[in-house]
Amino acid sequence: MKIFCPYKVKNIYEAVINMTHDLEKIKHDFLTKLHSLTKEADILNLKSEFTGKTGVVSELLKSLKDMNPEERKSFGPKANELKDFITEQCSLFLAKIEIEEINKKLALDRIDISMTENIQAKSIKSGGYHPRTIIQQEIEDIFLSMGFDVLDGPHIEDEFHNFEALNIPADHPARDMQDTFWFHDPQKTPKETKKYLLRTHTSNIQVRGMLSRKPPFRFIAPGVVFRSERTDASHEMVFTQLEGMMVGKDISVSNLIYFMKTILKEIFKRDVEVRLRPGFFPFVEPGFELDISCLICGGKGCSVCKQIGWVELLPCGMIHPNVLKAGGIDPEEYNGFAFGLGLDRLVMMRYGIDDIRHLQSGDLRFNSQFKLF
Amino acid sequence: MLISIDWIRDFTDVPNLPAKDIYSRFTLATAEVEDVVTIGEHLEKIVVAEILSFEKHPEADKLNLVTFKISETDIRKVVCGANNVKVGIRIPYAPLGVKLPNGLLLEAKKIRGVLSEGMLCSEEELGFAEESEGIMELSQDAPIGMNMLTYFKMKKDTILDIDNKSLTHRPDLWGHFGMAREFGAIFETPLKNKFTKEWATGLKKHFTLDSSPIKVRLDGESAALAYFGLSLSNVVVGESPEWLKVRLKACGLRSINNIVDVSNYVMLELGMPLHIFDRDLINGNEVVIKRLTAETVFKTLDEVDRKLEVGDTVISDTKGPLVLAGIMGGLHSGVSPATKNVFIEVANWKAALVRRTSTRLGLRSDSSQRFEKTLDSKLCERTMLRTLELILELCPGAKVVGGLEYGGMDLSLIPTLKIKTSLKKIQTVLGLDLSEEKLLSIFHALDFQTEKNNSEFFVTVPSYRSTKDVEQESDLIEEIGRIIGYDNITPKSPQDIIAPVKLTELQKIQRRVRDFMVLQGKSFEVMSYPLIGDTLLKHCSWPHSTSLKLVNSLSQEHDLMRPSLIPSLLEVCEKNIKHHDRFRFFEIGRAYQEDAKNFSKESLHLGAVFVDKDKNPFIDLMNVATNLLTSLNLSPEFVEMNTKFENALVPSEWIGIHPFEYQNIRVMGKFAGAVFSVHPLVLRNLKIKGHVTVFLFDLSLFTNYSAKDKTKYKPLNKFPISTFDWTVVAGADSLASEVLNACKKVKLKELRDVQILDVFESENKKFFTLRATLLDEAQTMTSEVLKSAESALVDATSKAGFNLK
Ligand SMILES: [Zn+2]
Repeated sequence: MKIFCPYKVKNIYEAVINMTHDLEKIKHDFLTKLHSLTKEADILNLKSEFTGKTGVVSELLKSLKDMNPEERKSFGPKANELKDFITEQCSLFLAKIEIEEINKKLALDRIDISMTENIQAKSIKSGGYHPRTIIQQEIEDIFLSMGFDVLDGPHIEDEFHNFEALNIPADHPARDMQDTFWFHDPQKTPKETKKYLLRTHTSNIQVRGMLSRKPPFRFIAPGVVFRSERTDASHEMVFTQLEGMMVGKDISVSNLIYFMKTILKEIFKRDVEVRLRPGFFPFVEPGFELDISCLICGGKGCSVCKQIGWVELLPCGMIHPNVLKAGGIDPEEYNGFAFGLGLDRLVMMRYGIDDIRHLQSGDLRFNSQFKLF
Repeated sequence: MLISIDWIRDFTDVPNLPAKDIYSRFTLATAEVEDVVTIGEHLEKIVVAEILSFEKHPEADKLNLVTFKISETDIRKVVCGANNVKVGIRIPYAPLGVKLPNGLLLEAKKIRGVLSEGMLCSEEELGFAEESEGIMELSQDAPIGMNMLTYFKMKKDTILDIDNKSLTHRPDLWGHFGMAREFGAIFETPLKNKFTKEWATGLKKHFTLDSSPIKVRLDGESAALAYFGLSLSNVVVGESPEWLKVRLKACGLRSINNIVDVSNYVMLELGMPLHIFDRDLINGNEVVIKRLTAETVFKTLDEVDRKLEVGDTVISDTKGPLVLAGIMGGLHSGVSPATKNVFIEVANWKAALVRRTSTRLGLRSDSSQRFEKTLDSKLCERTMLRTLELILELCPGAKVVGGLEYGGMDLSLIPTLKIKTSLKKIQTVLGLDLSEEKLLSIFHALDFQTEKNNSEFFVTVPSYRSTKDVEQESDLIEEIGRIIGYDNITPKSPQDIIAPVKLTELQKIQRRVRDFMVLQGKSFEVMSYPLIGDTLLKHCSWPHSTSLKLVNSLSQEHDLMRPSLIPSLLEVCEKNIKHHDRFRFFEIGRAYQEDAKNFSKESLHLGAVFVDKDKNPFIDLMNVATNLLTSLNLSPEFVEMNTKFENALVPSEWIGIHPFEYQNIRVMGKFAGAVFSVHPLVLRNLKIKGHVTVFLFDLSLFTNYSAKDKTKYKPLNKFPISTFDWTVVAGADSLASEVLNACKKVKLKELRDVQILDVFESENKKFFTLRATLLDEAQTMTSEVLKSAESALVDATSKAGFNLK
């Protein structure tokens, strides 16, 4: 009923307004004082001046009990809020002061955060893979994902694995073409002596690979090969090659084209047009030269492709039955394809390297360009 | 090799396609065309003109303004510098737009202010002579306006330059007739074979019953397979007719005289070389084919003295060699302008022997190049008759004396090669649908005869393809595939199941090592030559050992297989110290050793090198080595150098080993590597100041080794760890490892680990502060336990001579 009494209502209203006004004033008072303080003790004193037992706010709170319920209900929470605010502000200011004190100490222990390895003359900064490794692993991974094992074999090889087993008999012109490094003079060594040489291609691994497994299988053989060739910007006597083969039942030329297209798309990271034309290699029949449409001009013709629109990339073909036989595989039952890829050429294409001799120079001015970090 | 399309058209009607289409189809079906040249195109546009008047150029004394007509109504003017300009003469006029053989493209331009509409041409400008003076005067009855091609009765031609290497396996394509058969198969035009039995019979009618003035005798085994000889009298040596010269020139040969030109023409047409002798210069009445039994000097046609060896095959008369078989004739028995009577040799030689001699002499002739490809002896007779036909055409008065003389094997004994195949097999291997009709038409176009037997075919290979090119079914499949065109095959994935694949253990280890050395070792990977030289070995003071040596190296810098990676690594150091004060690199490469049983043994080594001009990098590299090998689960042990057990990777007699900075690496009881610094003496030779530390490790010991990850989870400690620190006094030379080894003698289950907490040196002594870590997993350790552990540790160190400070 009381609340409907016009006088009472007005009275309460005024009382609350007065008290709220007092609270605002107290708060303002407190903040002005707080902001002028810089010492921990002064802040603690200020805190007790307002919220201590006899503090201003505490007195106000005590006076609550003299108020009627409506006044108390309206004023009580505000007074408590002010008390919490003061406590909180004091802790905040105390922490600030402490941080400043610690920071002063930290300033004495300051490090030069700009002194990273990168700017230090005597630091060891970086490391990196040989560009051949980068490309070779990339290509190995592509072939692994397509079910090809990765094999390697000896560098020092006998005539059988490097030539005979690959359908290259003694009088074959390919033996001249390959400019072999010999450990025996082939002319002066008796026929029955096993003659050793440095492998001229990684095809020597084909025979070892075939003898070590049963069809169907797929593998690649990346590695260094040796040719007795004068070196210049585009010729090396030691270079890297990758050969591969796939053997199974009813393998066709169309399968070969499919694999080459798929793999070249992965290597060049884009669709590549290919064409096959007859090529003569003793270890395949039919043998092909695989050309890709020129990546520079897209096949329209440019100086890189000698205006033809095609660039010769890799030799390939259906494995010659004699090679299968040398690998212990019955050519009546199985067949397959083989291909070769010059890895150094891909390395040079990828990075725009103009001189193949850099690859084996051991000159860190070259190698450090391939830093990983 | 140069091929004239005009000549090919003698034997098949090559369609009139643009040159580009012809060569690209030929490239895809047969062999690589390296270049295409069209000749005579300019002659079609150059026409006969008649000079009407001329006057001096207003600004140049030596130039004339010539007015002429090329028809009654078409009157033009050019500026001309020739001094034989006369009114009324007929001359060749090249209008604007013509490209002359010398590369000049005629464009409208002013010469000294006067516009010239083309050019009046000299013989040189037409491409008829290498040098000429003045404009070419044509005959007075030359029809005005007629083009030069018609006027000179010439034909335009397209010349294909075909890569010789891509014809290595095709002896049949070394002449235009064989090429024409190939073109016929590609473009589906029939072969016009004029060399029929009737043709041969007709020519043989010229043979007489006289005894041949020159007989043929084969004296023992030689390079000869078949040798035909034929004598002709009353030939007249002279200039060749224009058509013959044009064709030889188109194919890159110079005209010499009609007889020599015929021999070259027949070679270019039929692919088989031959030789014509001046018969009157042959001593005696026979030619003998034999292998030389003594070294001889022989002057070949090109006027070079050739040193012939025992075993080379020659054709000789009573006085000595006349021809080096299959390669080149001699200078003295050749046809000359004075020749009246000739002897024609058409022979076939063993490819390998011709190749061996020509390679040795460095003499590669048109002839040897062809014989090297293994020619067909059955083609000798056709070649002889064609030569006879042409000589009779050019010298109608010539007469055959006798008939064909022959030496060699019975040619009828050469077996005919028949290969079995089937449509299905060809379809399967090519991955292509193909009709039987198409298959047969390709075989027949290529002169392969077929007999059908149920689902199979027996294919008869022509003798000129079976000398070594076509041997088996896969060769037949190639014939079909290339003529169809591989572009017509649709790519298809194979049907077989893929077995799971993975890298081998050694391959995985190599990748791990590379990753570790790059990321943790902060090193650059290098690759050096496996071929080194004695100079480098000496330079590195490498102890004398026998290295595998090449017999045909290119230089002494690269004639040995490196016995170790160390010399290569030091060479890299030497190269880089000029540019860097500190650097790190590694190589995974092979070292090569002699092997009594297998000739050689190759091992795969990791060699990592840290170089620093100031700071000794030994400990840094030791840390990398330890962490790398531990990460490979190899549990490496590092042990001192021990003269009793030699480490094969670092020869103990090498003076390059540092006396103190050396540690052997032992894995599973075997020496597998070492970490060491290089001795300053060796560094001095390499001009390196500072420190070089090497980590060498034999990866090939782990070819089939799969190191297990032995990590096992244990519950976290429930009881507190306790530590105990104590300081001992040691001699100035003592190593931390010696002090720690002393602690290893303490066998207490609570003792987890002892490590170095601190080291300081003073008054020629070292003070090591050690920290032992103690833990009992089952309970909290009592103070009694801790006390007894501490005294056990102190006792152990002092027993080893390291007293408590
Ligand atoms: Zn291009």
